[in-house]
Amino acid sequence: MRTLSSSASISLFALALTLAPAGCGPIFTLDTPSGMIELKDQGSYAYRAMTPDGVVLGVRVIEDAGKTDVAFWVQAVTLHMKELSGYALLSSVDVTTASGSAGKELRFGHDEAGKPYVYVVRIFVAPKHQLVIVEAGGAKDEMERNRPMVEAAMASVKLR
Amino acid sequence: MVLALVLAGCASAGGSAASPVMASPDVAAASPPPPPPSPSVVASDVDYEARLQFLDTPIAGGSVAPPTHAKQPPHAPGLPHAPVPAKPVLSAPAAPTEAPPTTATPAPPPRRESLLIYTATLVLAVFQVDASLTKIEELSRSVGGYLASRNDTSIVIRVPRARFQEALGEVAKIGDVLHRNVEAQDVSDQVVDLEARLKNARAVRDRIAQLLQGATATKDALEIEKELARVMGEIELMEGKLQLFADKIAYSTVTVNFQALHTSEVHAMARLPFPWLQELGLSTLLQVR
Repeated sequence: MRTLSSSASISLFALALTLAPAGCGPIFTLDTPSGMIELKDQGSYAYRAMTPDGVVLGVRVIEDAGKTDVAFWVQAVTLHMKELSGYALLSSVDVTTASGSAGKELRFGHDEAGKPYVYVVRIFVAPKHQLVIVEAGGAKDEMERNRPMVEAAMASVKLR
Repeated sequence: MVLALVLAGCASAGGSAASPVMASPDVAAASPPPPPPSPSVVASDVDYEARLQFLDTPIAGGSVAPPTHAKQPPHAPGLPHAPVPAKPVLSAPAAPTEAPPTTATPAPPPRRESLLIYTATLVLAVFQVDASLTKIEELSRSVGGYLASRNDTSIVIRVPRARFQEALGEVAKIGDVLHRNVEAQDVSDQVVDLEARLKNARAVRDRIAQLLQGATATKDALEIEKELARVMGEIELMEGKLQLFADKIAYSTVTVNFQALHTSEVHAMARLPFPWLQELGLSTLLQVR
């Protein structure tokens, strides 16, 4: 039986790496700010981090969204939050990831037990047609206080 | 002393407080002829203050009944025949100068019709509530009635007594009748009582007016005026109540409450069947592990 030489093995390994599907690794990266701690094993969240005063940042990756049209999902999310969940849409702006992917940011307000909260959702389509949903939320005062840090973290998202 | 004179006037002019006197001419035939009016009781307006004049305006008419049942007063040829009123009212004119019947054996009085207030409440199941509300409002006008009140799911209309059954029939055609309640409230006793009390009060008022005319001392005049004002207030109250009865008898009330018909539950909006979409929001985001 003929065995492979070491150089052939290395070449084959490199070839395997280049041919490996892109989905094998994380399709996004995000810089966790120093004021937040990343949490592990967060169920349906691919990423979740939070501040000591309760502001949470999360990322979901939807592999089988069925449709990768940002406008479609912006409308779906807006209607869901407004009509079914009782959130008030405060703003809707175009945003871009650090890697240049275009998306939309929706900012909602929500009152719970008389206390105001803010909930931010950014919707992107990854190069391999997955949906990437970046969320941030917390009590209104805390969100305002941490806004620069949260926005910087959201803006650091890169899609692969 | 003035008040004693007033009370004496009450006893002489009235005398009927204990036994109600039927105001309608047909029933009056059965009762003993009224005593000849005292010269001090004047039916016409007392010419001393303008405010009393309107109280002597007689409320014309006979007993309240649907227009098809109008009766002629059988025993008083001297009285003008009361035409059937478009909006029937309750009491006969106060006529102290009415001549007693001349027949030796008065005929038995015809049975007075009960004074009834009709109300109906229906619950209808319909597909389009708003359109049905409009139909009922138009129906009320078509039968000569009017809209009393309306909101998103119910409507109250007033219809002429004579067309009450017709209106109910038309309303029932608009949807499925889930519930129906019709009531007839007999207010004859209350009306008769009010009419008798009103007649007495008017007699008292006339007597007091006469006394006021004859008062010489200012103190006496003031006391009589005070009593007169009180009696006039009572008269106004009773006249108002009688008018209210007349209105409720003339126009029946129909209340219709609507229920939306549905054979199966339909969600207001179909939802995209994606679990991640349903999970969006603060309640999931903030529930960290």
